[in-house]
Amino acid sequence: MKTHVKFENVSKEYRLGLTRTSLPTVIGGWVKNQFSGKRSQSTKGDSFWALKDVSFELKEGQSLALIGENGAGKTTALKLLANITKPSEGTITTNGQLSALIELGAGFHPDLTGRENIFLNGTILGLSRAQITRRFDEIVSFSEIERFIDTPVKRYSSGMVVRLGFSVASCIEPEILLVDEVLAVGDAAFQQKCMSRIRSLLKNGTSIIFVSHNFYLVQAVCGRAIYLEKGRVKQRGQTKDIIDLYENDLHQKRALRLESGSQDKNEHADQIEILGVDIAQTNAADGHISNDQPLHLTIRYIAYEDLGPAHVSVFINRADGLTCCMMRTKIDQYPLHIWRGEGQVSLIIDPLQLVTGSYFAEAWFLNESDSMVVTPHGGRSDWFAVKGRGLSYADDSGIFEPNTRWHHATKQTLSAEEPFIRLASD
Amino acid sequence: MLLNARHFFSARELLLAWTGRNIRARYQQSALGWLWAIFQPAAQVAIFTIIFSFVVRVDTGDIPYPVFSYVAIVPWTLLASSLPDMSQSIVSNMGLVTKIYFPREILPIAALLARLMDFGVAAVLLVILMIVYRVPLFPAGLTFIPLILLIQLMLILGIGLALSAANVFFRDVQSLLALIVQLWFYASPIIYPVSMVPETLQPYYFLNPMAGILQSYRAILINGTLPDSSLWIAAGISLLIFAAGYWFFKKVEFKFADII
Repeated sequence: MKTHVKFENVSKEYRLGLTRTSLPTVIGGWVKNQFSGKRSQSTKGDSFWALKDVSFELKEGQSLALIGENGAGKTTALKLLANITKPSEGTITTNGQLSALIELGAGFHPDLTGRENIFLNGTILGLSRAQITRRFDEIVSFSEIERFIDTPVKRYSSGMVVRLGFSVASCIEPEILLVDEVLAVGDAAFQQKCMSRIRSLLKNGTSIIFVSHNFYLVQAVCGRAIYLEKGRVKQRGQTKDIIDLYENDLHQKRALRLESGSQDKNEHADQIEILGVDIAQTNAADGHISNDQPLHLTIRYIAYEDLGPAHVSVFINRADGLTCCMMRTKIDQYPLHIWRGEGQVSLIIDPLQLVTGSYFAEAWFLNESDSMVVTPHGGRSDWFAVKGRGLSYADDSGIFEPNTRWHHATKQTLSAEEPFIRLASD
Repeated sequence: MLLNARHFFSARELLLAWTGRNIRARYQQSALGWLWAIFQPAAQVAIFTIIFSFVVRVDTGDIPYPVFSYVAIVPWTLLASSLPDMSQSIVSNMGLVTKIYFPREILPIAALLARLMDFGVAAVLLVILMIVYRVPLFPAGLTFIPLILLIQLMLILGIGLALSAANVFFRDVQSLLALIVQLWFYASPIIYPVSMVPETLQPYYFLNPMAGILQSYRAILINGTLPDSSLWIAAGISLLIFAAGYWFFKKVEFKFADII
């Protein structure tokens, strides 16, 4: 089997002190030092290792997940693979056409239309015009942006940019595909489509390196995983084991902070953290949420100190970014008190009533007067698919399906029957 | 080097696409569009003609001043407009450079090619001017034009590549460049003929490759004579500058993505 990627003892050092200081600052600093008699503080040696001694190998058709906290070196590893930057130590060998999705819309020019960008992006990825023309229709139909293909990309929503980016990167059938977090932006239906595309690429021998915090996607795609911590390999193995280890570590870190708790008061923003927002329905059929049934929403949190009276706001957002509804403990006058420790707030929406489509819920904790957000990050649920009586989501299907009762009357029956509403005219 | 050349060849599609993008982006939402390519040098010539044939008289022999200056303005504009574009080309596309790999020299070279199109458009007006003022053609000399242009492109490429790379590390390059281009303008035979340069300065004068290049354009298109040795001095210096600029660019290109 062909080896596509070989990463041997790779290290990457970034210098922090190398912010370009201008001459006036240098002279100013020098003058100041002369007067104060202090030695100038050298910024030299102010460097950090984004990656340290990392090795792995990928053969054709294999997939690897990079897991770790922000700043663990995942993106650096991808940038090294994509030849965007060079390693400080070690060697990297890639063998075959490489396609990288490192950031949302990288390689797209905002002023150019979708059509022009497909050609531009395709040529950047190393395809000839003829090759792109051959795959053009496939790229457009996969991305589902036919209507907007001649619109400048700057008018696209972030979801559309991701769809187009993934379509170009995957439709050229690269031998090595790097995917960094970007898929999180797409809606559930498109994620499913991407997953099946990735699986078929894997089957045809493409090697994939995947970075995501969405462990559901990671497990669906990758057989093996590497756990990076501060640039070093902490553990490697089966994806499931690595994810368990990582989540366990996260949990322990939280528990540790809970213990040391109120000692570091200056970290004021982190009084409370949302661990997750879960969506459930008692009798959900084949993963779909029915809109005529109640929806159970659970917000799991951990509070590092006593908050006392507090409020929660929950939003439900549609795939195109529209906020469909907002539920607040303040408005419902639900008294909520948060004490140090873990807990959960539950909410039942009965019935859900949203039209067919993909949604996610977002939750925030607010202070006593409901005026200030106290969670540094809002909690976000996974995408969930709602099934209503309408066939599929369309622009003109509205937002919700209310409970309805119809009635019909003709003029003849109207005079005979009791009128619907009697006006107070007599 | 050979490997580089092959790699570059496969990237020519990207080079063309990027050049097209530059041209389209430049003339987007502009009323005159590509007419600016003619309008700008023509306006300059009009100003120079008024100043140097009425206010301060510059002796250009029996050659009308508009033709005399336009012959030099067009190639000068190619250099003066492409160098700032090239020096900006990497910096203004950092989003691309830090996210995706492609041969980095595409960006400055495409910036130059986009300006080369303007050069072609402006040259049309030169032909018209030559017909209007009945300047006799010198067919044997015309074969030299591509060679002179090639030497000039070498010169621009060398400087432009080096500037585009240096600008990533020090933004001073942009401000400095504007100053240097202005000085360079007066140090080149654009608004005055070489014959006005003092005899004692002449040997040093041609160390400026643009002097030899502009002098040669003028010799062929106006005087009907073959270029003199000043062209070969310019060729040698331009080639050296090209080699140095390209070498510098290749040496630092992998540090681009590390500078944020």
